[in-house]
Amino acid sequence: MTEAASTARISVRGAGKRYDALEVFRAIDLEIGQREIVTLVGPSGCGKTTLLRCVDGLIPLSEGAIAVDGTPVHEPRAGVAMVFQHFGLFPWKSVYDNVAYGLRLAGASRAEIGAKVPYFVSLVGLKGFERAYPYQISGGMQQRCGLARALATEPSVMLMDEPFAAVDAQTREILQFELLRIWDIRPMTMLFVTHSIEEAVLMGDRVVVLKGRPSMVFETITVDLPRPRGRQTLGLPRFNELREHVWATLMDEARRAEFSVSS
Amino acid sequence: MTAETRVPLAASGAGLARLMGSTFFVKLAAGVVLLVVWEFGVNAWAPAYVARPSGVIAVLPSVIGSGAFLSAAAATLGSVLEGLVIALVLGIAVGIAMGRSFVVDRLIRYYVFGLFAMPMVAILPLITLWFGYTDAARLATTVFAAFFSIVLNAADGARAVPLDYLEVGRSFRAPRLRALADIVLPASMPYLLAGIRLAAARALIGAVVAEFFISVNGLGFFILFNSRSFHHNQAIVAVMVLAGCGVGFEALLNWATRRYFPWYRRDEKVR
Amino acid sequence: MSARRLGWTITAAGLAAGATLWEIAGRSVGAAFVAPLSDTIEALTPSVWRALASSLGLFATGFALSVAIGVPFGLLLARMRLLRVALESYIAILNATPMAALIPFILSMMGFGFAPKVLVVFLFAVFPILYNTVEGARSIRPELIEVARSFRSSERALWRDVLLPFVLPFALTGIRQAIGRALVGMVAAEFFLSASGIGMVLQSASQSIDTATVFAAILLVTLLGVLLMELGSWVEGRYAAWRNIR
Repeated sequence: MTEAASTARISVRGAGKRYDALEVFRAIDLEIGQREIVTLVGPSGCGKTTLLRCVDGLIPLSEGAIAVDGTPVHEPRAGVAMVFQHFGLFPWKSVYDNVAYGLRLAGASRAEIGAKVPYFVSLVGLKGFERAYPYQISGGMQQRCGLARALATEPSVMLMDEPFAAVDAQTREILQFELLRIWDIRPMTMLFVTHSIEEAVLMGDRVVVLKGRPSMVFETITVDLPRPRGRQTLGLPRFNELREHVWATLMDEARRAEFSVSS
Repeated sequence: MTAETRVPLAASGAGLARLMGSTFFVKLAAGVVLLVVWEFGVNAWAPAYVARPSGVIAVLPSVIGSGAFLSAAAATLGSVLEGLVIALVLGIAVGIAMGRSFVVDRLIRYYVFGLFAMPMVAILPLITLWFGYTDAARLATTVFAAFFSIVLNAADGARAVPLDYLEVGRSFRAPRLRALADIVLPASMPYLLAGIRLAAARALIGAVVAEFFISVNGLGFFILFNSRSFHHNQAIVAVMVLAGCGVGFEALLNWATRRYFPWYRRDEKVR
Repeated sequence: MSARRLGWTITAAGLAAGATLWEIAGRSVGAAFVAPLSDTIEALTPSVWRALASSLGLFATGFALSVAIGVPFGLLLARMRLLRVALESYIAILNATPMAALIPFILSMMGFGFAPKVLVVFLFAVFPILYNTVEGARSIRPELIEVARSFRSSERALWRDVLLPFVLPFALTGIRQAIGRALVGMVAAEFFLSASGIGMVLQSASQSIDTATVFAAILLVTLLGVLLMELGSWVEGRYAAWRNIR
C-alpha cells in the first residue's frame, strides 16, 4: 500500500441535511485522517446513519460539502466501501459471488477475482463456505460476508453502518475483535457509526458524539488506548473511564428516558 | 466503471409521484387515460356495436334496473356461492383426511392432482350428459371447479400443523376428533383461505362457461345472448359485475387473512 | 416395508381399484353414461392424438405470447415505480376477472380462425404472470438497490445482479398459475370459437353420444394438464430455493 500525504482522507465541512421541514443534522465538521478510525455515536434518530450515507454519496447534502481525498463527493466512488447493518447480501448469490460482486462491477478480470475472493473469504473466517447461500448461514456469518465484499475492493475508506447491530451479543463481540484483527493486517480509514458506546470506544481513535435536535457535533473524545486492541482492552481502567465519559456526555436529564438499551 | 454509474434509487417518476401527492391520484389518472383510450380507439376503428365507456354508461341504468339482468346475476352468484359451500364442506373433510392420514393421502393423491389439473371446460359434455341442460349441471360444474383446490389447500394446511400444537393436545389427552376441531382446523385456516380464494375464482369461471354451454339463465348467458345480438354495451355491464365479484371475493379473503391470521406469510406456496 | 414403498403400494392399489371401478361402472351403468375403461382406451385413436397435438399448438402459441409480453412488461413495471403504481390495481382487477366472460365478445368481433383463439389463451394466461411479476417488483428490498448503488453499479448491472434474479421466482409462480388457466382457455376457445383440436373431438363426440371418445378426450387433456403443471411446478421450485428464508 502506498503511503499518501497526511492530508485528511475524509473532510466534512458544514454539512447539513434537511427533509422538507425536518432538519436532521447541521453544521457538522469532521476531518478523518489516513488510517484513522472515527466512531460516530448518538441517540436514535440523530442522523448518524444519514450522515454516513452522505459520505458514501448515496444521499445528497442540503448544505455544506464532503470531500474524500480532496475531491468532492456527489455519488458513490471507487476506493470507498460500505458495510451495511442489514448485511445487504444478495440471497440468490453464494458467499463467493457476493464477495466477488464489488470486484466484478469494478471490471476485475476473472483471474483477479479468482485470486482475491478466496483470500478475503478466508480473511473474514468463512473459508469452506464459499458455495453456501445467505439463507443457509447465520447472521454473524452473513455480516462477515458483507465485510469481505467491502474489503475485496481494497478500499482506502470503509464506512460502517452499525454493522453489528443486527447480530446477537456474543457474535457481536467476536466480530468486533475480528474487525480489529483485520484492521491490524490492513489498516484503512474508517468511519464507524454505532449506538453502542462500548463499541465506539473499543474501535475508535476518536469518538464523535452527535446530539441535539437538529443533531450537531457535541464533543469529540480522543481515545488514547493502545493498539492493537482486543479483549485485553476491555479490562483496562482507561477504557472504563472513557466509556463513562462518553456515556455521561450523551446522557442528560432530559434524554435519560429516551436513551434506553443502546450499549 | 462505465459512464452511467448513477442509478436512481427508485427510478424515473418517484419524484413526480411525490409531486402528485398520492398513489390514489396516480391510479385514478391512469384509469381515466385507459378509459379515454378505449373510447377513442373504439370510436375511431371499431364497428358501431363494439362496447365503449360512453355506451356502457348510457345503458347502465336500464340494465341494472331490468329484472332479467338482476335474476341472471342472482342465478349465477347463487350458483357460485352454493357450489363454494358444498365444495368447502366436502373439500375440507377430504383435505384434512388427506393431510393427516398417510394412507388416505397416498390412496387418492393422483386422483386429486389429476382432477385439479383437468380444465373445467372439458368436463362440461360429461356433466350435461349426466345432469342434462339444467341449473343442476351448472352447480355441478362450480362444485367441480372449486372442490379440488380446497382439498389440496386443506391438505397442505392440515399437514403443516406444527407438531408442537398436537403435542399440547396429546398432553391434555384431547380425543382425536376434538384435536381435529380445536387444533388442526384453526391452524389450517390460512391455507384454507388461500384455497378458498382460488376456489372462488375457479367457481366463477366454471359458472360462466357452464352457462355458455348449457344456456341456463345467468350472467354468462346474458353476455352470450347480448353479444350475439350486438348489444355489447349491455353485455359489458355483466362483465363488470363478474369482475366485481372476482375482486370482491379476493378483497374479502385478503381482509379475513389479515384480520384473523396476521402472522401468516404470503410466501407459502399457493396453488 | 419402508414408508416409501408402502406409499407406492397404496397408490398403486388405489389406482388399480379406481381402474377396476371404472370398468365395472362402465359395464353396469350403461355405456351412454359411463364408458368403461377398456372402451375409453380403444377410443384413443391416432386422430384423437393428432387433435391433441393441434390443441397443444394453440396452447403453446397463446402461452408463449403471454410469457413474451407478460414478463418483460412486468419487469418494466418493476423498474418504473410510477407506472407500476398507476397500473397495478387494474392488473389485479383483471387477474380476478373471469376471462371466459370475454369470449363472446371476441367471437363477435373477430369471428372464426386461429387468431381469436390465440387471443383467448393469451388473455387467460397473461394476467397471473403480470400480477405475480408486479408482486415481485413490489417486494424488492430497497436495501439491495442501495447496496448496488454504493458499489457504483451501472443500470445494466443492476438488472443483471439485482432486479432480474429477485423478480424471477415471482414471474415463475405466475407462469405456473398461468399454465392451468391457459389450458382452460384452450379448451374454451375450441368449444366456443371455431372448433379444432381436442375440443372439437370432445364436442362432436358429446353430440353423437360417443361417450367412450368423450372420456378419452377428457383423459388426454387431463394428462396434458398434469404434465404441464408438474413441469411448471418443477421450474418454479428450481429457482426459488433462496426464498425459503427471508
